[in-house]
Amino acid sequence: MDWEFVREITPTILEGLSITLSLFAWSMVFSTIGGLVLALMRLSRIAPFRWFSAFYGWLLRGIPLLLILFYVFFALPEFGDAWTFPPFRSAVIGLSMWTAAYQSEAIRSGIISVDAGQFEAAEALGMTRFHYMRKIVLPQSVRIIVPPFTGNAINTMKQTSLATVITVPEMTLLAQRIIASEFKAVEPLFTLAIIFLILTTALVFAQAGVERAFRLKT
Amino acid sequence: MTPIVKVTGLKKSFGGLQILNGIDLEVAPGEVVSIIGPSGSGKTTVLRCLNLLERPDGGRIEVDGQVLCEEDAAGKVKFASKRATREIREELGMVFQRFNLFPHMTALENITEAPMAVKGVKRAKAEAKARDLLESVGLSHRADHYPLQMSGGQQQRVAIARSLAMDPAVMLFDEVTSSVDPELAGEILLVMKRLADEGMTMIVVTHEMGFAADVADRVLFMDHGLVVEQGSAKQVLEDPQHDRTKSFLHAVRDRAPMEDVSDLPTEPVVSEHIETIPNDPDGAKVEQLESELAKLRGELDATRRELEQKRDPRS
Repeated sequence: MDWEFVREITPTILEGLSITLSLFAWSMVFSTIGGLVLALMRLSRIAPFRWFSAFYGWLLRGIPLLLILFYVFFALPEFGDAWTFPPFRSAVIGLSMWTAAYQSEAIRSGIISVDAGQFEAAEALGMTRFHYMRKIVLPQSVRIIVPPFTGNAINTMKQTSLATVITVPEMTLLAQRIIASEFKAVEPLFTLAIIFLILTTALVFAQAGVERAFRLKT
Repeated sequence: MTPIVKVTGLKKSFGGLQILNGIDLEVAPGEVVSIIGPSGSGKTTVLRCLNLLERPDGGRIEVDGQVLCEEDAAGKVKFASKRATREIREELGMVFQRFNLFPHMTALENITEAPMAVKGVKRAKAEAKARDLLESVGLSHRADHYPLQMSGGQQQRVAIARSLAMDPAVMLFDEVTSSVDPELAGEILLVMKRLADEGMTMIVVTHEMGFAADVADRVLFMDHGLVVEQGSAKQVLEDPQHDRTKSFLHAVRDRAPMEDVSDLPTEPVVSEHIETIPNDPDGAKVEQLESELAKLRGELDATRRELEQKRDPRS
């Protein structure tokens, strides 16, 4: 291992960090909203909503993310200009759709963990369903949602590297370019691994913090 | 006096099982009505229908002059709008067997949440009132405690205070002492008795015959989804007219305090006695009885789970 080389290439790879982070951030925003909607649909009294949500989860969790990214980037444009997206946006769409399928299950498990008796108490007190969801269910289910939710987030963080195949210049692509031009693979890949480890470790710490904040007082 | 709660011909079935077969009930303001009856008689369902936690299949419910549900000419039940239902629910305080406090909120927050959210009461005012209510149920020192830090009896008293914070016209109590330890039931019953003395209108589904006898103005005995007989507490409890009432009361008194399978204490009661059996130095009999007891306890747990599932089809 050539440490001097590592030092030399680190700034170059880090140039892709902001793209990796914004891929991750946007995907988390959209997949959380999407996951919440899917979870509520899955728990809905309206059967077609439940069917759609179940079908979506089955489909998106059943095919490789790589295929989803290819589909968004290469296949969708064949349906016309309205369906043609630049690489970064395509990656956000693919990652969000994929992550949403997993987040919906995490969120759903949190919602159903809240005892039905509390819903009855809230109803008997005249609360609206929205208020019940926001003030009673949400704070309690966060505790249940956070561990699987963070697990999914960590996966999405790592999978941003797949965006490289649809030419998004995130860190993996920059590392690959170094390999191609310098004919050295150990150092770029090592550097890349360390950066990803730091990012995913930060998420684990964030999880512990949120869990502490929402622990039930006994 | 015009009744504040007026129920006629109330019907409800769960999956083909008819639970209520046409209940008529009128409650006057300030009246305390106690509903007693065996497990599965439908007494809890009546209470839950009153604020539409269960939607009746037939009949009419009127609370304080507002119609909650009504059968039309074709026999189809029409319900009040969501908004109207919420407004009527504000008039009905409900206290549950399992307290159903919000575990992530302190006692004080549990009490202030609904007045602030539903009635738009300002926080300072809601908190002042909540503290008064906590004091009246003897829990002012527990204001900042969370439900899981309190005993069952204390949680239930907070739950009563939470309902009272909405200034209900009628309080509904659903077997409120059934999931607390027997020695803690007294403190809940005391709070209820005081409420009754203050003139609160109350409908109390209970296994506490003592409470029914002391506090209720009227006692209803229900069986198989019907009101079998009703009258003053003295009349129904001491001089029942119907055989079913007689046999129920007989069973309750004979087996007291185990009125209902869900009320069986979870702590072993029998083994204490077994251990004192004389002339059994090697404890063989104790062992045998204990294994029988363990088996029975398993069966009891299974039955209890089954009952709970029936009671709450969503779980």
